[in-house]
Amino acid sequence: MTNAAEFSGVTQSYGETIAVDNLNLQIEEGKLTTLLGPSGCGKTTTLRMLAGYITPSAGTITINGVDATRLPPEKRNLGMVFQSYALFPHLTVADNVGFGLKLRKVPAAKRRELVLHNLDLVGLAHLADRKPKALSGGQQQRVALARAIAISPSLLLLDEPLSNLDARLRVQMRSEIRRIQAETGLTVVLVTHDQEEALEMSDVMVVMRAGKVMQTGAPATVFTAPANRFVADFLGYENFLATADGSLLTVRPEHLRVGTAGGTTGGAPATGLNLPAVVTDSVYRGVDHIVTMTATDAAGQQTTLVSTTRRDTLSSDQSGVRPGDRVLAQARDHEIVRLAA
Amino acid sequence: MRGRPVLGTLAVLGYIIMIVPILFVVSTAFTAGDALTFPPQGLSLRWFGEALAYQPFISALVSSLQLAVVSTALALLLGVPVTLAIQRGKIPGKSLVEGLFLSPLVVPELVVGLALYQQIMIGLHQTSFVALLVGHTVLLLPYAVRVTGASLALADPAVEEAARGLGASPLRTFFSVTLPLLRPGIFSAGLLSFVTSFNNVPLSLLLQSRQFRTLPVTMLDYVQQSYDPMIAAMSTLILAGTVVIAIVAEKTVGFAKIFGGINK
Ligand SMILES: Nc1ncnc2c1ncn2[C@@H]1O[C@H](COP(=O)(O)OP(=O)(O)O)[C@@H](O)[C@H]1O
Ligand SMILES: [Mg+2]
Repeated sequence: MTNAAEFSGVTQSYGETIAVDNLNLQIEEGKLTTLLGPSGCGKTTTLRMLAGYITPSAGTITINGVDATRLPPEKRNLGMVFQSYALFPHLTVADNVGFGLKLRKVPAAKRRELVLHNLDLVGLAHLADRKPKALSGGQQQRVALARAIAISPSLLLLDEPLSNLDARLRVQMRSEIRRIQAETGLTVVLVTHDQEEALEMSDVMVVMRAGKVMQTGAPATVFTAPANRFVADFLGYENFLATADGSLLTVRPEHLRVGTAGGTTGGAPATGLNLPAVVTDSVYRGVDHIVTMTATDAAGQQTTLVSTTRRDTLSSDQSGVRPGDRVLAQARDHEIVRLAA
Repeated sequence: MRGRPVLGTLAVLGYIIMIVPILFVVSTAFTAGDALTFPPQGLSLRWFGEALAYQPFISALVSSLQLAVVSTALALLLGVPVTLAIQRGKIPGKSLVEGLFLSPLVVPELVVGLALYQQIMIGLHQTSFVALLVGHTVLLLPYAVRVTGASLALADPAVEEAARGLGASPLRTFFSVTLPLLRPGIFSAGLLSFVTSFNNVPLSLLLQSRQFRTLPVTMLDYVQQSYDPMIAAMSTLILAGTVVIAIVAEKTVGFAKIFGGINK
């Protein structure tokens, strides 16, 4: 396992603001790594330091084992797709895609061939002679992708590439980007604030907060075993319960069940969670039925619990709960995640 | 306009105030008579012929065009790099530099003219063309900086970054991306500068000499001595030239872009 890029002790500060704080990160070759985190956590800064648009205040960045910390962008051979696409408005689609090849002095005939090949990869060969203005947002995005890939970059960098697309196209482009990565074998770094996107697309997921890495790992690992409360929170865990020994338990709302005190819904689990609670709300939201409760955890703290159940799997007991009802908040052992702190 | 009677009325009034004097001048230019009166007496082109045959006007027109073209070129040559430095560069005290280049807008032209007269014509013994060239270039710089700056501010900096990422050096990026993006802005700035220089009176009045006199100053001189339709004919010719420039501008860049660039 080799690293296409590596951050060692990289810090970037703007006056008082520390955008990236002593970052240590390895980008594995041939993998799709996502940087995931809320807005302002330093994802773009990290990507722009890798691309060479920002020089870090401290630390080193190596690309393919070579120190690139102070190398200007034009000497890095990286393909970057900007959030705004940043196509050259005065050039045709073909000339946009061929821009990097022309700079590399690829002869015209060969260039044309490569341009069409890369446009074909994103399904836009038929629009080669258009100007970017005459394309839809989704098409511009694909041209930007083709332009970045055309130079055979050592890494492909994508900054929130899907955030300007409509919901349906966004989901479609996720698999499209994965397909392109598989076909080209490129190392990809993708920045996103959308946990679903990261979970679906990544080989490796890097969860960030306030310029620091909170957790790195395969999506399945990070999802099922979040390292701390922040990661759990960000991945949609709710129902945080302190234990008597000072650690923290959490259960996803879709795993938390509402048992009536009489125990007709499968009965209390032998082990796991079986906590008395009082219903505060019971509503439908789209396909989900949501029950909100309050309970007192083992540390004696009052907490809010949320349970969501798909409408079609709802038992009459659960749909029948009303605010004020005394119930049991239940989860099985394997559904309970224990956090460090 | 509907539902906004006050605004509508003001707009119509504005047009009338602008257009009526022009109509007056243009129509008197076509008179067959000898006096500058309205309505014109008869219809003829004789005063156009006289204007084009009047040597002082023609040599002044050539001087004005020379001055406008060269000072516009100088203002752009200086102003475009300054704009880039202000907006894209990492120079400290950006707003101070910008203020410096916009300051000719607030310094009275007579003061600039007087200073140039003392320093360049008296002090350095330069011709009035050189003094006027310096004066007009200084006068035009704020337009060049402002208008190209406005169009640069509208351009996404990521486009230039994209070029760098694809392997273009900063110089290459400037010529193959930034400059084409700026072309409409530079064109508008040039147009505005040209017209500003061509119409300028205060500086030209102060720095003129017998050898070099601009058209507006010459026309002003002429009106003070003789009040005949030739001046209306010359004005109409200038107006026609301006209209041609405006049409070219509209066809190539579009007014919305040119004047939108100034406000934004
Ligand atoms: N050029 C800059 N000047 C000052 N602060 C900046 C600059 N760029 C980013 N920041 C700050 O650094 C932090 C991280 O920003 P960014 O990397 O853009 O976050 P993200 O992409 O995760 O939303 C934010 O607090 C942001 O306000
Ligand atoms: Mg960002």
